[in-house]
Formats: sequence, C-alpha cells, structure tokens
Amino acid sequence: MENSAESINYYGHKPSETVEDREKKLTPSPRANKARELYFGAKSSTSMEFPYWYTRRWDELDGEIPVIRRAESLKAGFEHLTPVIYPGELLAMGKASFLRGSYPMPWLSEAFFMASEDKLYQEALESGKLTADTFTTLGKGGGNVTNSSGKVISIAGKFGVRVEEMPVMLEVAKKWKNRSVDDIGHKYEQMVPAYKEKEAIMRSVICMFDSGYTLPQGREVINYYYPLQYGIDGIIRICEESMNEVAGFPEMDRLYFYKAVITMLQGIKAWIRNYAEEARLLASLEKEEKQKAEYTEMAERLDHISSDPPRNFHDALQMIWTFHVAVLNEDAISGLSPGRLGQVLYPFWKRDIDGGLIDRGKTIELLECMRIKFTEIDCFASMGVVGGVLSGNTFNNLCIGGLKKDGTQAANELEMLILETGISCETPQPTLSLLYDEKLPEEFLMKGIECTKAGAGYPAWVSNTVAMEFLLNNYAHEGMQTEEARAWSIGGCLETSPGSWMPLNLDGEIHWIPGGSAPATSVGVHFISLPKILETVIFDGIDMRSGERIFPSHGYKLESYDELWQGFKDYFSRAVHVLTLTNNIQHDAWRKISPSLVNSMLKPDCLEKGRDLGQMGARYNTTFNVESCGNTTLINSLASLKKNVYDEKNFDLETYRKAILENFGYHTAQETGSYSLVDQKPNEHHSEYRKIHRRSLDAPKFGNDDPYVDALFKQWEEWFCEMTHNYRSLYDQPLYACQISVSTHGPMGAVTLASPDGRLSGTTFSDGSVSAYPGTDRQGPYALFNSATCWNHSQSQNSQLNMKIHPSVVKGREGSRKFLELIRAYMRKGGFHVQFNIVDSRMLKQAQSDPDKFRSLLVRVAGFTQYWVELGKQIQDEVIARTEYEEL
Amino acid sequence: MDQSTLTGGYIFDIQGFSVHDGPGCRTLIFLKGCPLRCLWCSNPEGIRPFPEPLYKETKCLFDLYCLQACPYKTIKLTGGKETPRLEFDRDKCAHCNTYDCVKACLTGALGQGGYFISLPELYSRIERDRQYWGVNGGITLTGGEPFAQPEFTTGILKMCYEAFIHTAVETCGDIPWNHIEPSLPWLDWIFFDLKHMDETAHKLLTSSSNRTILENARRLAVSFKGRLVFRMPLVPGRNDSDENIRATAEFILSCGFKELNILPVHHLGREKYLLTGQTYMLQDLEMNAREQLLAIKDRFIELGVSCYPGSETPF
Repeated sequence: MENSAESINYYGHKPSETVEDREKKLTPSPRANKARELYFGAKSSTSMEFPYWYTRRWDELDGEIPVIRRAESLKAGFEHLTPVIYPGELLAMGKASFLRGSYPMPWLSEAFFMASEDKLYQEALESGKLTADTFTTLGKGGGNVTNSSGKVISIAGKFGVRVEEMPVMLEVAKKWKNRSVDDIGHKYEQMVPAYKEKEAIMRSVICMFDSGYTLPQGREVINYYYPLQYGIDGIIRICEESMNEVAGFPEMDRLYFYKAVITMLQGIKAWIRNYAEEARLLASLEKEEKQKAEYTEMAERLDHISSDPPRNFHDALQMIWTFHVAVLNEDAISGLSPGRLGQVLYPFWKRDIDGGLIDRGKTIELLECMRIKFTEIDCFASMGVVGGVLSGNTFNNLCIGGLKKDGTQAANELEMLILETGISCETPQPTLSLLYDEKLPEEFLMKGIECTKAGAGYPAWVSNTVAMEFLLNNYAHEGMQTEEARAWSIGGCLETSPGSWMPLNLDGEIHWIPGGSAPATSVGVHFISLPKILETVIFDGIDMRSGERIFPSHGYKLESYDELWQGFKDYFSRAVHVLTLTNNIQHDAWRKISPSLVNSMLKPDCLEKGRDLGQMGARYNTTFNVESCGNTTLINSLASLKKNVYDEKNFDLETYRKAILENFGYHTAQETGSYSLVDQKPNEHHSEYRKIHRRSLDAPKFGNDDPYVDALFKQWEEWFCEMTHNYRSLYDQPLYACQISVSTHGPMGAVTLASPDGRLSGTTFSDGSVSAYPGTDRQGPYALFNSATCWNHSQSQNSQLNMKIHPSVVKGREGSRKFLELIRAYMRKGGFHVQFNIVDSRMLKQAQSDPDKFRSLLVRVAGFTQYWVELGKQIQDEVIARTEYEEL
Repeated sequence: MDQSTLTGGYIFDIQGFSVHDGPGCRTLIFLKGCPLRCLWCSNPEGIRPFPEPLYKETKCLFDLYCLQACPYKTIKLTGGKETPRLEFDRDKCAHCNTYDCVKACLTGALGQGGYFISLPELYSRIERDRQYWGVNGGITLTGGEPFAQPEFTTGILKMCYEAFIHTAVETCGDIPWNHIEPSLPWLDWIFFDLKHMDETAHKLLTSSSNRTILENARRLAVSFKGRLVFRMPLVPGRNDSDENIRATAEFILSCGFKELNILPVHHLGREKYLLTGQTYMLQDLEMNAREQLLAIKDRFIELGVSCYPGSETPF
C-alpha cells in the first residue's frame, strides 16, 4: 500500500521521489508553433496611434451630440491603426501595431500611467485609487516590461512604450484631465454623503477597485450574430432603415444611436480594408509562391468581410476575430468571452466539411492560429488591475457543451477539435469551460478529461444546471424563460452570463446559435476583502496597518459571537452601500462620456431598440454585482474566534488583538519575501504567541466536512447572497453576489494583518470562494466537496473551487475514467465549478528559480490559465501552497 | 465475544478518492495492528494495535509542555543540550486514552496516531463518500491488518455488503482462520500478500513464519467466492530470486488461483519510522528499476501466472 497517514501532499497518492511531468503531450502544427515562438519573444507594447486620433477628433467635435462625437472619435482611431501582418498568419488583425499591442484609453482614466512624480498621479494616490497598485506584484518574466531600458519606457509596471512616443502620451493624457470618465465620475461621486468613507475604504484596500473607469466592459459574452448573418453593409442598411423610422419621432436618442453605429462601422470597414491593402502589398513583394498565395487570399477575404457576410468557415472565423478585436478597441475590457464559439461556427464548418471545402487537419491548424491570436490580446490598465486582479490575463473564455435551444445536448464535433487544439497548442487564451450537463455524451466528457489532464488548467468544469437556476432566479423579472436560460455561457473568468438564441439563416435553413445578450456582468462593487472587514470589526473601525479610521465605531463590546457577526454584517453593509452609490455614478459618467458602440451594436436587442448598452439596450440588464475576496479566510477566522474566544474561552479578544498586531510573533511576509504561510519565520517574541497561534491553527477549518465551521460558511453565504438584492444598480436592478477571487487574494492579503485563523500578516488569502485555505483540507477531496456544497450555489453568480492534483493520481486510461467520476460527483452534489492544476509542485518550484527554462509552462490560477513566468510572486507562492502545508 | 456488544475498532486513517486498491474510486480504511514486522513496511504507525503518540522531532522546540502534561510520566528528555530529543515509553503510552501530551503541544510536533471509531460513525463516513465514488467504487480495508480486529472488520463489511457497496480487504494472511472466515460472505475482493515461499527467509523478512499464510491461502481457494489477487512486494535481493519466483508461481497455480500484482517496495514510509520511535532497516536498499519489475512480470507470465506490475491490476 502506497498511501500513508502523515505525509500526503496530494489527494489520494503520495508522489514518487522524481518530479512527475504532465502526461499528455501533443505538438502544434509547424505554422502555429512558429506563431507561438514569435509570441514568446514579444513584449507587451503600447502605441499612441489610436488614442492620438481619437482625442484629436474628439476635440474637433466640441459641442456635438456625445454619442456621435464618440462614434466619430472611434472611427478616427480605427482608420489610423497601422496594419501589421505576420508571415504564416491565417487570421489577420490585432488591437494595435505590435504583436502584443494595446494602448491607453485616457478618456476613461489618465492619471495612473503618468510618471509617479507627476501631480496627476499624486492626486490619484491620495484619493485611494492607486493604493492597490502599490501592493501588487507582477511577474518578472515573459512579455512583461517591468523596467525601462534603452529606448523603451515601462508604463504601469507591464507595458513598454517607445521613448519618442512618451511626450505624445503625456500630452494626450493631460488633455483628458477633468474630462475623463474617472475625473468626471470622481467629481460627482463626492456628492454621495458617505463619500469620505469610500476614500478610506479604497486607501485601506478593503475594496480593490473602482468599477466605472477601470474595466467598464467585459465579464460578458460577445454576440457575433449580426455580422455573421448580415455583414457590415447589412447592418448599416438596418441602421439606415431604422433611422428613417425614428427621425423626428419621440425618443430621438435612437436616431443618434443608429447614426453613431453607421459612423463607427465605417471606421471598422476602413480598418479592415487597410489590412486588406497591407496583405496585397505583402503579396506583391513576396517571392515564395505559397506565402504569396496566402497573402492574396487573405486580402480577398478581408475585402469580402469588410462588406458582406462570411461565405465559409474561414471567413466566419476571420469575421469573429475582427469584431472581437473591434470591441476590445472601444474600451478597457477584460473578460470579453467568445462564449460558445464551437456552436456558433458549427453551421459554417459543417457545410464546409460536408462539401469537402475543409478537412480536419486544416480545421485544427485554423483553430490553433485562433488560440494564438486570442493569446496576443493585452489589456492596458493600471498595475493594480492588470497585476492584482487579472495577472495579465484577459479571460476570453470559450465554452463548450451545455444544451441546445430545444434542451438536447449541444456538444458537437467542432468542439471536439477545439478540445484537441487546446491540448496540441497550449496557450492561456482562449481558456475553455465545459458546461457540464448529465445529457452530454461520454465521449465528449472523456475528451474534456484528456484536455484537463494535459495540465494547462482548462477546461474548467461548470454546472449547467446550477447556472440555469441562477439565471432564472435573477432574470425572470426581465422575461427570461428556461429555453433562453440554456443559451448562457461563462463571461470572463467565471461569471455566469445570460445569452439568447439567434436565428442564423444559412441556405434557407435556420440554425439557432447562442450568444451573449447582456452587458458586463461583473461591474458595480469590486472585490471586498472579507478578512480586512473582520479586522476592522475587531479593532472597532480602524485600519491598524495605517492607523486610519475607516468606519465609525460599531458600538459593540463584542462579548458574544452574535455581536461579532453583527459587527461584521454592519461594516460589510456600509461598504457595499457606499460603493454601490459611487460606482453607479462612475458608470453613469461612463455611459455619458464613453458609451459602448461596437459591443452595443452586436448585442441583442440594442439594434432593435435603438439604444446602447448604457441605455439598457440589451435584453437583460440585471448585471451589477458585489464581489467578495477571501471567503474561506474569513470563515476560518470566525470559526477560530467562535471556538477560542466565545465557546471555549481559551483567550479573550484583547489577547487576540495583541497577537494580531504582533503577527503571532513572526516576521512579516514582506521581510521574508514569500507570501506563502509555509515560508514565514518566527521572530524573538514568538514564544509568547505560540499558544494562541497553535490554537488558531488547530481551530476547525473549512473544507473538512466539519459542521462547526461549515455552518458558519452557510450562514455567511445565505446572508451575503440575499443582502446584495437590497442594493440597486444604475439601471435600477437588484445586485447579486459574485464569488471569485481572480488574483486579488494576493495583494489584498498583502495589506491585511494576521487573521484569527492563524494566517500571518501580508500572506495571501484563500483562493476562489469554496477552496480550502492551502493545506488545511486534511480529509481529502470528498470532505472538501461536502463542505463546498453546504450551501446552494445557484444563489450566487458563481462559486469557485480550485484543486491541485498530482499527475500520478489520474495517470492512464483508468485514471481518466476515475477523474471524470470525481468531477461528475461534485457536479451532481450541486457544485458549480471545479478546476485543476495537474502538476507536480516541485516542478513549479523549479520554475520559480529558473523561469527561462519554463517559458511555456501554464498553470491554472482562479478562473484562468496563465504563463507561470507572467504571474506575480504572491500568486506563484499561493499556487505552490494550494495543497501542501506539511512544514507549517 | 458476542458481535452485537462490539461497537467499533481502532483505525489510523480514512482516505477517499483512492484509485489503486480495487475497482473504481474507493475509500480506504486503515486499521491498527499487524502481526508481521516487515522490513519495508510503509505504514509503521499501523503496526501497534492501539493509538500511540507520533513525534516529529524536526518540529519540536523543547518547551516540554507535553512532559508536564503527561499524567503517566512516560516522556523523557534525552540527548543533552546538543542533541535533545524526547523519548516515549511506548508500552505505557499504549494504555493512555486522553492524549494530554498532544493537546499541550504548541508546535505540531506531537500527533495522535490512531483513534477509536464506532461502526455507525464509520458507516456514515462511508455513506458520505459513496455519493462521490461514481460507477464501481467501494471500500477497501487495509492497515495494519484488518483481520486482526475480526469483529470490527466483519461488522463493517457486512453493513456495506448488505447496502450493495463493493467490499475489499488487503491482508497479510497471518491470521487464525477463524478470524478470517466470518468475513468471507461479505467480501467481494481480497488482496492477499505473499512475501516469500521459504519459511526461514519469510521469518527474516517479516519476523514470522509463512505457514499460516500459505494454509489460509489454500483454504480461501475453497471457501472464498469473490475475486482474489495475490500481492507480492518485491524487495531487491531478498525475495526476487528466480527460485522464489518459481515457487510463488507454483503455489498460486497449485491453489487454483492465477492473479498476482507485483509491487516495487519504496522508501516513502521511512520518515514515519521516526514518528513512531522505530528503526527503518532498509535505509540503504537500492530499489528495483522499472525494467527489472517488467522482467519479473514477464517471468511470472511465462510460468502461467497473470501478473500485473504496480498499479496496472485490471479491476
């Protein structure tokens, strides 16, 4: 027998003494491989073309109707983007004229990318907007430009900009002072009575980010239906006809909207044609016959889709990619998910493959090229957002499986190939999510297992049943019914997003394709640090790290557990209240200054209603949420206090206060340079605190099927999910709970003192929302599953369970089958989401010390897959620690 | 003893999602107590029949809270200032059931190896895990030696079997037949260890004769209706000679069985010897390479035995 009681680091099996590699390996096609090598060599780069022309046009149109002004500015930006095509590409176009190109959008926010000595930057720091930036670390490797060197300046800790473009950047940024969404929103958010409290909340990093000007769109599913069905000219015709119907009638905003869409589309047409022109130029210069033909074909394809709907699968894929980038270029966006792309494209592909126009080999090559294109997407935002939330990831989540409109299973052959290319061409984007349903065929599920086992961290496994229940609970009042609930998909990393069925007419036959039909589904109150709130409850409203008062005294003596819990609920509610109001104001500034046009045009039913997304043009608009971070750290802390202070009275609260302030007699994480609890070192005072620290560590921990702590978890969930409905969004809809930590558990942990569960100051919180704190799940996966499902997941937009499994446990055919049984069991039990890192942690440690050798190593973080070398140290440490804690 | 008066037994671990010890995903229950002393034993904390302290010296800071807390004064500080360590009078510890020392420890150096669990408690734990096994799946009793607590073993096997749960036992075989037989009607599967065919060699490896073991195997051939797979831990230079391989194959076939799972022994349990105050004897043994394992498998197959190496037993 190979198992042992004491030294299990991994579920079910003790690792052998040699480092285990991942099991399944396939190689990409030579074409994709070459493109990926190019990508590995590319740095995140930013250029000023788009913002320069946007700003110039904006200023020319002073006094014009805002939505028209916006459309003209976007058009000017698109028209002036320099086209760049790389040899061997089958899909052309990108955000900017660099391989990993992006650009700042100063009309949203301009202060954060100013030099740190600039007055603009200092003001932003003062208001608490940039505190998160200063506690975030970004990965030092890969394509991140973390330091300036030579003729490249590092901006926002990640992006390189050419030194000669710097003056333009600063000039353009300064032009937006007092005009950007950030500045206008800031002006008016101060009118909220509790505004001062909001600033203190941001400075203490109880909340990580504002919503309205950071990433105002994203965490949603794009809808490609209109361009696929009508082509750009077709959409323009629809707008022209609609203009005729509304001109001069009430609700005149519709007239301007249609006009704006036409203007914007003309910009996109020009942008596509510039690429076609470039392809023709390259063809004329190319000597090599095959490449020459490819350029010619590309030019012809781009010309075609600049006006007309796609004729075949390759056209359709190019069209989808073009519009994906077009949306990304209108706003700072992360988490614009292609959604159920395999089902959207299937009618085109099926017609081609039946007609002999394409074969499987060619399909795989195209899909591989698509993976690399999605991976090239960068999002320009502040360091705190890019590093602290996103870890540089852009969350283009592609979903497979689920159900069709008629309720039958939706998996298809093209999705099998999408899984196949997820293995052969491992890249972080698009990440995959498998919408698990009992009706899905076994063959498809086993293919999903094979891909999960390949170790890149996708697909994540997500419950179709739980998601549909959530949607029907939250969108029924907007008219959602079961049939439409089936069209859902994951938007962003793990945000359940509503969809609609659209009638794609191909050769007279209707194919119902799914696509997104709501705006951003995770905006509103971003990432509230639950452990930090508890800290302020314990210290009666003061952030002891800075000494600043955040909340007024709660007035409780904290003599019973119920009082402590009430204190927590009071402070949490205060934070949600003020943040809802200030963020509503920011979003109002956003929809007035920088309304969405590209994304609005795509989403049903904006074109029908003549309204953009900010005017509730979409079919479903209940999309504001409250996000939590550090769930399990909070619950473990509450359990420890309940047991040690209130039930068993081992220590009084004053003793806990002292121990927290003295970090249980340990050096701080900043001093040790590691953010994992395992690596912390005691200082000379440790012996005074050893007892309280041990009792805190020994207190019941979530993830072990222990009713003592699971009951507190359930109590929290039921209260949290319900209380969010008491707050109203900008669109006068109730909010809902969203529980994903993404990467915020790193930087938020960094500013939080030791917690009563024994976690030490500055160390990372628990990840996800139903994951155990690293290493404290000592009873194996079944106990963890039981704890995780102690509440009903459909009350929340999501729940997140991250697990690390050693490759040897799921080895071979038998291992694959058992792995599926494990996942299926969790789904049947009511779990919403589970994802895996199938990796030997010793390999991760090697990669930490020798990053160059592991440039292509992918790991799963929280809802996304990322290159190891591009992750911040906080998150790297946490991924290593997830199930190991032997030495604590 | 009347079975109804016995309500539980001593175990030292339960593990869900085990994938190597029977069909499907399984829950493994590790029972305390074993009559053998195999040199390579990877679960030395399962040998003694009752709970015991586990002492991890590397974590000990020598505050001596445990020493003060122990009501029986079984803990001693030895080794002087330079190399301090704690020593336990483990015979006396065996009679303790309060574990004040473990409760007093503030460093995590002391743990409790093994605990009592009642049949209903154990069964409800199995019921919980059952919903996660998926198709196939079940329980495997291992240890230690499950038949060393025969009433407990029979009790839990019967409860599971009657609830349509697949049941398996991993046994060393060195147990009186009347402690094995009552469990047989409630068993689907037995892993039965064969460590050496030569009695003297067997004694050297396990401190015990193999007579009872071989006799029990022959009886199982007659009495047991489920599937039996022999397991042979391969200890390089100790039991992997061609002579022993031939003798093992002959024995298996002469009983009327034919399946054998060969397992390379490993050093993974060695840290646990320190925890329980025992000495690991195979410290310097070089382990079999994968090629040698496959060569031995081929040899068994040549001799007519269906031989599965490592985790490749078809379930």
